[in-house]
Amino acid sequence: MASSTPNMLTKFESKSSRAKGIAFHPKRPWILVSLHSSTIQLWDYRMGTLIDRFEEHDGPVRGIDFHKTQPLFVSGGDDYKIKVWSYQTRRCLFTLNGHLDYVRTVFFHHELPWIISSSDDQTIRIWNWQNRSLICTMTGHNHYTMCAQFHPKDDLVVSASLDQSVRVWDISGLRKKHSAPTSMTFEDQMSRANQNQADMFGNTDAVVKFVLEGHDRGVNWVAFHPTLPLIVSAGDDRLVKLWRMSETKAWEVDTCRGHFQNASGCLFHPHQDLILSVGEDKTIRVWDLNKRTSVQSFKRENDRFWVIAAHPEINLFAAGHDNGVMVFKLERERPASAFYQNNLFFITKDKHVRSYDFQKNVESPTLLTLKKLGSPWVPPRSLSYNPAERAILVTSPADGGSYELINLPRDGSGSVDATDTKRGQGTSAQFVARNRFAVFNASTQQIDIKDLSNSTTKTIKPPTGTTDIYFGGTGNLLLITPTTVYLYDIQQKKSTAELAVSGVKYVVWSNDGLYAALLSKHNVTIVTKTLEQVSTLHETIRIKSATWDDAGVLLYSTLNHIKYTLLNGDNGIVRTLDQTVYLVRVKARSVYCLDRNAKPKLLNIDPTEYRFKLALVKRNYEEMLQIIKNSSLVGQSIISYLQKKGYPEIALQFVQDPQTRFELAIECGNLEVAVEMAKQLDRPKLWSRLTTEALAHGNHQIVEMAYQKLRQFDKLSFLYLSTGDEAKLTRMAKIAEHRGDFTARFQNALYLGDVNDRIQMFKEIDLYPLAYMTAKSHGLEEECESILEVTGLTEEQITLPTIGTPLSPPKPIVPTFKANWPTKATSQSFFEKALLGQVEGLSLEDEPTATSNGFGFDEAGEDDGAKRNGNLIDADDDEDAAGWDMGDDIVPEVESDFVNVDSAEAGAGSSEADLWARNSPLAADHVAGGSFESAMQLLNRQLGAVNFEPLKPRFLEIYQASKTYLPASAGLPPLINYVRRTVDETDPRKVLPIIPRDIESLATNDLQRGYDAMRTNKLEDGARIFKGILHALLVNAVSTASEVEEARKLIASASEYSIAMNIELSRRKLGSAEEIAKSPEKLKRSLELSAYFTIPKLEVPHRQIALVSAMKLAYTSKNFNSALSFANRMLANGGATKMLDNARKTKAQCERNPNDANEIEFDQFAEFDICAASYTPIYSGSAFEVCAFDGSKYHSKYKGTVCAVCGVCEVGKNGSGLKLVA
Amino acid sequence: MDPFSAEGELLNLHNYFHQGQYQEVIDFDTAGLSPENALPARVLSLRAQIALGQAEDVIADVEGESEPDLAAVCALAELAAGNESKALKIAEKLAQESADNSTVQVLAGTVLQAGGNSEEALALLSQHQGNLEAVALIVQIHLQQNRTNLAIKEVQAARRWAQDSLLVNLAESWVGLRVGGEKYQQAFYVFEELAQAASTSSIQSLVSQAVAEIHLGRLEEAEAALQQALAKDPKSAEVIANSAVLNIIAGKDATELISALSTTAPEHHYLQDLQEKSDVFDKAATKYSAKVKA
Repeated sequence: MASSTPNMLTKFESKSSRAKGIAFHPKRPWILVSLHSSTIQLWDYRMGTLIDRFEEHDGPVRGIDFHKTQPLFVSGGDDYKIKVWSYQTRRCLFTLNGHLDYVRTVFFHHELPWIISSSDDQTIRIWNWQNRSLICTMTGHNHYTMCAQFHPKDDLVVSASLDQSVRVWDISGLRKKHSAPTSMTFEDQMSRANQNQADMFGNTDAVVKFVLEGHDRGVNWVAFHPTLPLIVSAGDDRLVKLWRMSETKAWEVDTCRGHFQNASGCLFHPHQDLILSVGEDKTIRVWDLNKRTSVQSFKRENDRFWVIAAHPEINLFAAGHDNGVMVFKLERERPASAFYQNNLFFITKDKHVRSYDFQKNVESPTLLTLKKLGSPWVPPRSLSYNPAERAILVTSPADGGSYELINLPRDGSGSVDATDTKRGQGTSAQFVARNRFAVFNASTQQIDIKDLSNSTTKTIKPPTGTTDIYFGGTGNLLLITPTTVYLYDIQQKKSTAELAVSGVKYVVWSNDGLYAALLSKHNVTIVTKTLEQVSTLHETIRIKSATWDDAGVLLYSTLNHIKYTLLNGDNGIVRTLDQTVYLVRVKARSVYCLDRNAKPKLLNIDPTEYRFKLALVKRNYEEMLQIIKNSSLVGQSIISYLQKKGYPEIALQFVQDPQTRFELAIECGNLEVAVEMAKQLDRPKLWSRLTTEALAHGNHQIVEMAYQKLRQFDKLSFLYLSTGDEAKLTRMAKIAEHRGDFTARFQNALYLGDVNDRIQMFKEIDLYPLAYMTAKSHGLEEECESILEVTGLTEEQITLPTIGTPLSPPKPIVPTFKANWPTKATSQSFFEKALLGQVEGLSLEDEPTATSNGFGFDEAGEDDGAKRNGNLIDADDDEDAAGWDMGDDIVPEVESDFVNVDSAEAGAGSSEADLWARNSPLAADHVAGGSFESAMQLLNRQLGAVNFEPLKPRFLEIYQASKTYLPASAGLPPLINYVRRTVDETDPRKVLPIIPRDIESLATNDLQRGYDAMRTNKLEDGARIFKGILHALLVNAVSTASEVEEARKLIASASEYSIAMNIELSRRKLGSAEEIAKSPEKLKRSLELSAYFTIPKLEVPHRQIALVSAMKLAYTSKNFNSALSFANRMLANGGATKMLDNARKTKAQCERNPNDANEIEFDQFAEFDICAASYTPIYSGSAFEVCAFDGSKYHSKYKGTVCAVCGVCEVGKNGSGLKLVA
Repeated sequence: MDPFSAEGELLNLHNYFHQGQYQEVIDFDTAGLSPENALPARVLSLRAQIALGQAEDVIADVEGESEPDLAAVCALAELAAGNESKALKIAEKLAQESADNSTVQVLAGTVLQAGGNSEEALALLSQHQGNLEAVALIVQIHLQQNRTNLAIKEVQAARRWAQDSLLVNLAESWVGLRVGGEKYQQAFYVFEELAQAASTSSIQSLVSQAVAEIHLGRLEEAEAALQQALAKDPKSAEVIANSAVLNIIAGKDATELISALSTTAPEHHYLQDLQEKSDVFDKAATKYSAKVKA
């Protein structure tokens, strides 16, 4: 195939019609191929699969290009059309029309949204694919333009035409015109406009910079160098020409001669000083850019080449020919390397030998250069290291294969040219001993064993077809043929073993030299050192390299993964790779490898999975345990792995699901666990499986239990019989009797040898003959007679058959039933024990949480205690404050309450309502829980509540709101559930009940209704409403401190209104206006009350109502002074004008005579409160009592009475205060 | 064949029954059923009649039947008709004689539980062999005894072998309403799915949905559901009772509903409980008095 070494490394080939255009995807392993048949193919060249086909062009498609960043590509065809496609949506996005003949090439600009096309219509056009317009037409060629490309950086275009010229165009004008508009002076515009006219074709955007003439025929292809000012062109004159340009001129540098037919394509190697060209002479040629000499050429048998393309990043090329496309590499990228102990020796891209220290992670300076080895373009293939002599053996495929034996300098100081090298011809060379190496020559099919002075000591004729040799263990070689591997003993000069493995390319020995991995393209075969196959595995993608873990796990790399395989063939993925690497060494969590640039790299891996599996295979339970303890294995995968691999007893330790546990337990004969799980699942099927297993084990106790579960009485009886458990057998007989199951009863009686019972039974079922026979045979004459008597027969009337000896079951000798039959102890491996230990350990670890729970309880207890103490203190305080007659009783009562809490906590079964009372110190919560007594106690203690009657509706309201009725099973009362205000809480110790009419609803509903009542003068309603508010707040719960504040305000306000309304109501009760007018006392009281009505702190508009009323009454009663003060207060408050006018008028009237006709007890200038019971002033400084709840004030004499405002609390009885928040 | 499996002929019938669509159970065409299913179908139909308050008819119907299944139905009917002692007697007898009959387990268990013999009921029910009805009943009994933990266990065990069966879902929801938190919402979903599909909607499911919503604090939605239920049957005790609860929670007046309840179901737990608590209150309140009489 190859005309000169080395081989071109073909990576992918497709078969199709003639390929005219090729484009590599910049990132993905994709290649677009446009065909002469009008199809565009999208291939994954790594997997070798056709991803997609695009068929919208009419006729051949010649030009194709991927966009660098967008999911787009462009194509141009003989239908004159340029199409832009999305490979994501797999559709042609739009078509650019304009060319008048075949489109030859299309390319995207590297940064602008431009496409350049060349066409047989002699033009080159630039299109904007974003606005889909033609932005420039470049004319000048006077024959077909075959190719046009943008410069990779500058604003230049190069084109090739059949007019034999190559042209370079300057398109900086075009860029200026189409870049974002910048400020442009008028002159600029003018000059540009003028410039426009300067060109005779009306083109200023693109101007011809150079015309390169030199080809004698049409030019087919032209390309810029990626970095240098060079151009390469290929023409029908079979020449590839190299051109150089400067700012001002361009000239021909040299010509590469070699193609013997039209040269159809050419390009610069993206990274190396090489030119590649293809031609209709069916060759791909590689030229040295500097010497313009042919480096390499590759010939295809039948197919003419039409196009060549290079991958922009990686070392890949593609060439299109008559029957498809080939993707190839020019050189091996695998760096030659060898490692010894902690050092890796490798050859870099520029042929320097370096070493790398695994321990220190440092790369040495260049030890040696190998510039002279092989040809300059061919990297060395393999490296073999001899630690004894510190020598390396390097092979190169150049010149038919050669090797060099070089001693490494002792001190790696600076790059040294190799001195004292020994060379020779050979395809492959390997050290086989300290002072011997083997050289294989493929062409002569001969292996020479040489000493270090390079003289042959032995010659071996390998099996025919040998392609390579590898070290085969001391004194041995592995000889590789395409289908077989031979183990060859050098001493005996014969092969000692052979194994049919095809296509082996590399051999990797394990560190202990016991195993070797044979790598072929898609297979890894592990063999022993005697070449016995251990395992083999197949990969769908290429296997690149492999290395052994110290523990004996093979890690291998594919194109994109690092994987592992155990000796038994179990394999898996260790990690993914974003670029291909060549593994050289694994140590613990580090994988050392060389990348394609021959740079040592360190990758981190997680070896847990394969370590675990390895430990399992080796039954190294300690290590397994260690792994389980220290790393987070993915549970489920390990379990299924263990199960699959037949380690149910180990898997058992990991499984939670009872069904699976049961299966595993049965599988490994762990009855204990099986029983446990069967109990949990409680299904007849499982029980019967369990009995089978338990019977097999002779574990009759489990069998017995299972039969009991299954209610298999017969089997149970038989079991008792066989285990000799008479007591239970007797019980079975009773049960049978109880069940009325005569067969069972008979059977049991038989088992027991209980003749009487049998006879009894026969009699019961009227089988007297049988009863008689039984009795007779057992010699129970009395019984016989009684039977005869019953049946009314005599003995003579009965003819008996001969009766044998009576049957009596043997008596048990050994009490088997007392213990299970001795069975082999269930295999409790170290692992299991350890694991059980671990489980215990775990439970120990768990215990702290348990104890912390305990602490939780303790804390709760402490809290309670604290609370208790608090209460005690409260009580003390109360006693100090005097008048807490029940104080002494409460404490023990509360105490008993708390004791109750603890005991109830231990036993389940208390309803949630009970919990509420425990969870909360709020009276409302106790009420909701139905614990009215404790609620009353709380209220009494907190607020001195004594008269609970008015609270009854509130209590029942809260209580009724606490439960819902959920209809459940038909026929049973509904399930009662308890409504919570803590909707999200599930901890029974924190749940709290819902309390209807919370502070918010009171403030928005009830309070407003109260105000309305005030405004509309429905004072009786109002008084009731405000009292209701007070009662609702008395037994309530809020969640935040701010709500508590709000509640306090609401209580105060409701209290004030309540007093105010009652004052006014009591005034109205004095009698009609006439009655009052008649009685001076009543008049006085009426005037006083109306004045007091103005005292409570009402909302301003309501105060005004009170003031108006008081003012009017005072005025009409000629108490002008009082009326004046009311008027003044009204005016001070402000409000509706009409009312204020009225006040002003009154004021004016009163000011004329500011005297009161009636003396009343109302000092407008004094500070005073109103006693809520007597409605008389309590002047500041005088003693008073308050209601602990609503804060209403009383003269001291009312101490001990029920508060008139709330109607619940005892006046003057101080408590710990209202508690609303838990 | 397992009556709860999806293939069972009786599946629909069972579902109707447990969804509270009793009329549908009675109207179910049993002619096409295989002979071995005729008795269970009849039992279900009779139970539906009992649930609809036609206990007397049922008693007449099963008069003189000797099948333990029908005897159990008879016990249930007697219970529903108010003859608790008679019902209990039959149930106890059945529990001894035919404890392995699943109908007996469920019905006698119901009667025993209703008669307050929870332990016996549980003992009887625990003998079931994969009978979901029994499981549901056990769950309910546990819940009534406030043994939520046991109920949870029971449901979880059933869930393992009966997966997504209607009764398991229902029982789980019952438990969920006890547990609270997220479970409220899950229970709501179950009930809502039943209540809001025309083919499965019943008073029972609507009330259940409303109850779940009350617990979730979504009072308006709960009211809507209860209104729906009320439209179906304005006399349903559960609807009225829960409406009363809802009204009180919402701070509205419930006197009308309570009086309605006392006419339709004077024996309802709600009323009894209220009366009881009212008495408790009065008694407790007497312990306190003001020092000074006003």
